[in-house]
Amino acid sequence: MKKNTKVTTSGNTRMFFRMVYGALFRRRSRALMAVLASAVGAATLFCLAAVCIAVPAQMNQEMRAYGANLVVAPIERGDHARRDIDNAMVEHTTEMVTAKSSARHACYRYENVRINNASYLMAGIDPSQVHALNQHWNVTGHWPSPGKILVGRDLADNLGVSIGSTVEARFLREDSQEPKVAGQWQKDQIIGAANYQIAGIVDTGGAEDKIVYATLADMEHVTHLKRGTDVIEYSSSAVGPELAAIADSINEMTSMGVRAQTVTKISSADTRIITMLQTLFWMISLVVLVLTLVGVGATITSMVSQRRSEIGLRKALGASAASLASEFFVESGAYGLLGGLVGTGLGYAFAYWLCSSVFGRALIFNWWLGISSVLLSAIIAVIGSIHPVVRASRIDPAVVLREE
Amino acid sequence: MTEGNDERHTVQPQVQLLLDLEHVSKIYGDVHALDDVSLQVNEGQWLAVVGSSGSGKTTLMNILGCMDTPSQGSVRLSGKALEDMSQSQLTDIRKDVIGLVFQKFYLVPHLTALENVMVAQYYHSVVDQDQAMRALERVGLVDRSHHLPSELSGGEQQRVCIARALINEPKLILADEPTGNLDEANEKLVLELFQQLHEQGTTLIVVTHDALVASCAQREIMLSHGQLVGEHWNDDHAHQAYLAAGGRSALADVSGGIPVDLLTEDLPVGFTGSVEEGVPRSISQQ
Repeated sequence: MKKNTKVTTSGNTRMFFRMVYGALFRRRSRALMAVLASAVGAATLFCLAAVCIAVPAQMNQEMRAYGANLVVAPIERGDHARRDIDNAMVEHTTEMVTAKSSARHACYRYENVRINNASYLMAGIDPSQVHALNQHWNVTGHWPSPGKILVGRDLADNLGVSIGSTVEARFLREDSQEPKVAGQWQKDQIIGAANYQIAGIVDTGGAEDKIVYATLADMEHVTHLKRGTDVIEYSSSAVGPELAAIADSINEMTSMGVRAQTVTKISSADTRIITMLQTLFWMISLVVLVLTLVGVGATITSMVSQRRSEIGLRKALGASAASLASEFFVESGAYGLLGGLVGTGLGYAFAYWLCSSVFGRALIFNWWLGISSVLLSAIIAVIGSIHPVVRASRIDPAVVLREE
Repeated sequence: MTEGNDERHTVQPQVQLLLDLEHVSKIYGDVHALDDVSLQVNEGQWLAVVGSSGSGKTTLMNILGCMDTPSQGSVRLSGKALEDMSQSQLTDIRKDVIGLVFQKFYLVPHLTALENVMVAQYYHSVVDQDQAMRALERVGLVDRSHHLPSELSGGEQQRVCIARALINEPKLILADEPTGNLDEANEKLVLELFQQLHEQGTTLIVVTHDALVASCAQREIMLSHGQLVGEHWNDDHAHQAYLAAGGRSALADVSGGIPVDLLTEDLPVGFTGSVEEGVPRSISQQ
């Protein structure tokens, strides 16, 4: 039996993986235990981490639906001359706000109009923008559309109108100079007038309840005037210092003629809740990580102890401690990888169900998190096997011959 | 057992020592598992070690197999003192020089017969599947090469164990009760394999309770309570050649230098029935 010199060490590599394959797939019941232990850990960790990442993002999104956290208005001057923000400046400001974080915005142009001879504030808007920014508004009926307006609850009560009613709005010369507070009695030349059907009534409990919302085109029609916007509201994903930095960057550009102000109440609440949630979830994740390590370690310890005689035999056949350790580490890593794949899938399914049931939104699979989860499972399995494998590699090979 | 002696003329005139044990003891607390054992084994010799349970046979095997070290005394394998070697060197000796056959086979349960043979190649040097297949062919198991141990009979498992032991062409094969779990037919197969190995010049040391297995060996020694208490040669030619080459009787020290085995030629094989309180008749008569 002379040795074939053509045989290379690739045969040894193949043999190495044949041994690992045999251990994995021909000892199914025992391998299943280790894979299950890893899978449970991976599923729990992935689910927690996915929720930990998704919940603050969802919370942020939800918070942003509760209105703007950054308001931009023209800088007022002492001459009481009317200022507005033209479209180019709206675009420029929006670019600055969205440069570092995503944001939604809505533009508002305000004019005083007369309805039943009483003065009310009318906002010319893009309904889709305002709707997207203020999803918490309680709107009965529909948002404004051409020829149809949305009126505040208080205003509707004052006018005694309901959805489907028609009102006439007139725009006077005096009102074109400067907006006045609602309800002021004025006599002046009528510049424009139009009849609007009430499409819906908005009830927020705030200033919106006293305003008439019309499409910008309708406002331009009744005022016979095209001009820029009075206020831009932003709902930015940036919070805290990041949001303040955006506002500062706008305010430093005095040549823009606008001033940005953060709506601190909602931003700080948002930040605090998100931070609390993140801290809570990460702490739970850490505990689960430790428990997983203990569980996987205990399972592999049990498996290694069941294979003492095999380890003794391998040592008797000339296996070095390093060779044995590498075999068991690769085997453990494979258990971890398999368990990680299964667990990550299960974890995603559970996290998906959780997000769907709580937020009513689908959870997009985070590939980085998925890959990290699988790799972490493998690493945990290897770490968990260090102690039993080191002990096993010290087994006295004489144990296999000790039985007389 | 003189019938087979004529066929055992394989001892070379120039005998070289493979193993040389001098006053070896293994002590666990107050227990002397081996007690002052001296033994020489020349290359190509087939030696049977007999003795009752607890006599120290396995301890001796572990020491010879570089899996244990003596508490006292010296063991030289191919002229190298084992007691001076590190664990790593002992591991190298074990995989390069020694082939092990166990009573309980100790096959890796999740590897096929072929892979079990290849495991020994893997730890020794380079895996060669064709060579492993030839080893299985030699033990008559080619058609069972892809079966797991659980799918093999006891005899087949032992033959896989033997194929594994011989795959790296070891100088020395240590077999611990190799037929202990086999029926008569399989025992015969295993002994035939040993005979072939012996004829090819492989040194065989077989621990056994079985008188038939012991009688197949050229030489038998007996252990009792850790002491070497008897020696018997089944092959006169081998014995003479051994002595002529300067080989020493295992009982030379025990019996004050007299080659006791020469006085005990008529001892029954395996010394069973001729032991008085653990001491063979030949010695008790001294």
